[in-house]
Formats: sequence, structure tokens, C-alpha cells
Amino acid sequence: MSAGETRRLSVPATDAGIKAALAALERLWAEQGVSRAVTWPVDVSLDEVLANVVHHGLEGRGESAQVELELSFEPGDPPRCEVRVADDGPEFDPLSAPAPDTTLGVDERPIGGLGIELVKRLMDEIQYERRDGRNHLRLVRRLVAMEH
Amino acid sequence: MEIGDEQVGETRVIAPRGRIDSVSSSELERHLVARLDGGARRVVIDLAGVEYVSSAGLRVLLLAAKRLKPPQGALVLCGLGPGVRTVLELAGFTSLFTVEPGREQALARASGAKAP
Repeated sequence: MSAGETRRLSVPATDAGIKAALAALERLWAEQGVSRAVTWPVDVSLDEVLANVVHHGLEGRGESAQVELELSFEPGDPPRCEVRVADDGPEFDPLSAPAPDTTLGVDERPIGGLGIELVKRLMDEIQYERRDGRNHLRLVRRLVAMEH
Repeated sequence: MEIGDEQVGETRVIAPRGRIDSVSSSELERHLVARLDGGARRVVIDLAGVEYVSSAGLRVLLLAAKRLKPPQGALVLCGLGPGVRTVLELAGFTSLFTVEPGREQALARASGAKAP
């Protein structure tokens, strides 16, 4: 992204790390004066992606593992947000995970498995790359209200 | 996360506030499980104060729905803002839950009154 604001941070692969990352995103929204009505899909998606990395990819490594984040905001009409997440866990392409069946009833519905599907439906673009022994995920969304 | 909790007649009304994400959802889960273990069978979850919900929060709602299946139980959701509603719809969850606009309707529904 060209003009705009970019934050880089590194958080431990723990719940506290997820909290810190979501708080950083929240600060960026507040400073840029964007409404929660258009930012929540990005908040939800970052939570899903980090929960996946922390609870699966880097599971059990806790404080010793770091997740690198880059949060970018580009003003405009509409403004645009890009989130990059990198970790050195085992290779995992979330985009290759099979989509859950969202038509099953209460009894048949497995608990979990929905996170990545939500990210796919909430973001405009998602790219995964395995590079230099690390997982790199890039998420982009134009900050407009969800059309639904 | 703050969690409002009150008994209205036969129904327990639980009103989480803030974000229901992968970290805070465990608080809501503990709260709900304690109520269900304590014998609550008619429950309204009022989501009016919730900014957003991620899949970890959906998991907690699903868990409550499984334990409150009719006819022995009743679970009604209400107060869904646009973001919360969209996530529930994208996940195909709206068909799994009884959803009412406001708390009054939700209470009427949970207590067994016919839907308007």
C-alpha cells in the first residue's frame, strides 16, 4: 500500500498475544476515525487467523513463539485495510481447508471449523504463501458496510 | 468482558457486553455452563451490547443450544446488531437459533408464548 499508516508488531503465541494484536488494530481504527460498523469484519478475521495460529500451528510453544503482524490502513473512498500475519509454525494453508457444511442442524453441527470459512466470506482478498520456512497470510478488505 | 445476568420469572437473561472473540469467549462459556449446570432451562442471550462475535463465540452459542433443546429447554437470542447478525448468517447459524429483535419478545418466546 502507498500512503497511509502501517503498524508492525510482534506478539507471543498466547491468548495475551491475541489480545495485544486486537488492541493494536483497535487503536489504529480509533486514530484513523473509522467506524466500527465497517471495521468489525477485519477484527473478526484477525481473531480467527490468530486463534488458528496460536491454538494449532504454534500450539504449546507459547511465549517462545512469536507472530509477526503488519496492520496497514490506506485512506480513501472507501478506505482500505491490509493485514499481514507471519509465523514459523508447520506449513499450513488455511485456504486449502475444506469448507464446513453450514446447513447442518444443531445435533450434527461440529463445534469449531468455522473460523477460516468466516474469514473467506468477510475478506475481499486472502493470500497464503510459504516462504523462508514461514507461513505468510495477507488479508485485504475495503472498509465498507457488509452487503448482505 | 462484562456479563449481565438476571432472572426474569422462569427465564435467565444473560447479556454479554463487548467483543466475543477467541480470548473472551471462554469467560462467556464458563458463565453459561455454570448457569446450565445450576439448572437454568429457559435462557435468553441478549447480544445488544456485543460489538462483534467470532467463531469462538459461535461455538459457545452452539454449545448452549445443544444443552437447551426443546421441549425441556429454550434458548432465544435477541438484540443482534448488524455485525453479529451477519456473522450468524454467514455461518448458517440463524436457522439453528430462535432469534427475536428485542428482550421483551425474547422473554415471551422463551416462556413458551406463541411467536407474534
